[in-house]
Amino acid sequence: MNHTQSNYIQQIYRIILFLIGLWFLNLVWPFISDVILMLIFAFLFTTLLLSSVDAFERKIGNRNLSVLGVVIILLGSITTFLGSFISQISLQAQEFSQRVDQDTMTSEFKSLGEKLTSALPSFMQNEQSSSDYLATKLTELTQGVLGSLGSLVGTVGNFMFIAVMVFIFTIILLSEYHSFKKALVNSIPNKYFEVGLKLIYNVEKSVSSYLRGQFLSAASVAVMSITGLLILNFFGANITLVIFIGIIAGLANLIPLVGPFVGMVPALIIALMNNIGNDAATAHMFFGAIPSPFFALDIIFMFLVVQQIEGNLITPALVGKSVGLHPMLVMIVLLIGGTLLGPLGMLFAVPATGVIKVILVEVAFLRKNSHLL
Amino acid sequence: MKSAKWENIFKGWDNKESETVHTLKKVPVFKNLSERDFSELEKMMHQRSYASGDFIFKNKAPGEGMYIIMRGSIKITIGTNEGSENTLAELGKGEFFGELALFDDEPRSANAIALDDCVLLGLFTPDLMILQERNPVLGHKIMFNLGGLLGERLRKTNHLLIKEQSK
Repeated sequence: MNHTQSNYIQQIYRIILFLIGLWFLNLVWPFISDVILMLIFAFLFTTLLLSSVDAFERKIGNRNLSVLGVVIILLGSITTFLGSFISQISLQAQEFSQRVDQDTMTSEFKSLGEKLTSALPSFMQNEQSSSDYLATKLTELTQGVLGSLGSLVGTVGNFMFIAVMVFIFTIILLSEYHSFKKALVNSIPNKYFEVGLKLIYNVEKSVSSYLRGQFLSAASVAVMSITGLLILNFFGANITLVIFIGIIAGLANLIPLVGPFVGMVPALIIALMNNIGNDAATAHMFFGAIPSPFFALDIIFMFLVVQQIEGNLITPALVGKSVGLHPMLVMIVLLIGGTLLGPLGMLFAVPATGVIKVILVEVAFLRKNSHLL
Repeated sequence: MKSAKWENIFKGWDNKESETVHTLKKVPVFKNLSERDFSELEKMMHQRSYASGDFIFKNKAPGEGMYIIMRGSIKITIGTNEGSENTLAELGKGEFFGELALFDDEPRSANAIALDDCVLLGLFTPDLMILQERNPVLGHKIMFNLGGLLGERLRKTNHLLIKEQSK
């Protein structure tokens, strides 16, 4: 058997092995996917919190106590935020249900439908009572949304389990991060040591700079949304829970493409809840020209402006450069991630592609310079 | 008997000096550092073992950082073929090499080969950059010491050059 033939057989052998590997992964994936997802989340949280733990450790000289301190501060902040948010929203809902029963809501939507129909050009106004139809549909929709909240309880239980596991994994990773990293580095053979080390650092750098960029981008969206909502309130929008809405908009913004639209939903709901029965808010005109009941168009416009500033000025400066991917490629991987794993896929698509890119660059370098190793 | 849990919680407060810290204290790059600085530095160090005759790095290979000899000895050479190999230096315990790679992206300018079984400590550019970000005071101290050593070497080279020219 000559050399070319042997190479050919080796190639076929590798392809078969690869296919068997893929088949096996497909087989076990349903059993391990949740754990892998938890580990990925734990790794991302670890990357975010690592510098705080390291700084704390430098001050007190003990890793485990530093992790404990940072985790307590983090849990305290999350609990305060959630507790205060839930109490505020329940107060809001209580006040809303006291003020508005189903009949009021129907009549309110009916008058809104009439106003909207009258604002339309005459040829678009239907002879049949479109306002009645609109009022019934809107009422059904609102009741449906409120009713489906009950089914959320089951999902919350599952979410709590995943959250607790991610929390435990994060604590372990934070506590042993440097030991794990050292163990990984120690496992690299001497021949590939410096190249392997460079690869690990580049992957780490790519993920942490992406996360830092996303975090700053989310913070800027939150601040801009809060400012925008306060400006709208100045003109009489009567939107409460402004800080919470801003923070939710910032967090939702982490999911590319879909997130920004999800972010504006709470503001629209709160505006609707607060302004039902308020004639001035129902008759509000956007820039004095277009009917914008409950300031809905104003809110959408404000969020669109925030998105434009974030998308065109802040994100390219903070996130785009950090991963170094072409915008076209970002769009393609977002679509692939979204198709495969939904919103989670979209969340991880860009950093995962960044990591794959770093690995490919190093592998290409290794193939080219193998004689120097 | 001490509880294992408590030992685990307070393991960071054990003050026994490790071999790594003992070696680092002898290296001039790390002079004037406190005990806390050394314990932080220890975490950044990568310990590697090489058998006699192993290449630590090759000439023209991309360099990521410097090595400190904890045990054994190494030689720095140019050319690898027998007869053409030119040994520039032989270094032993407590000495360091490859420090130029901390400052530039240039490839290695010589080979480093283990003369006998040796254990080295590696300090690499990304770690130094992270240290500079997280603990600038310690980062500056190390950079300043490295600068001083490189300046000293440059002065010696200048002195040799002047001596050669005046012959």
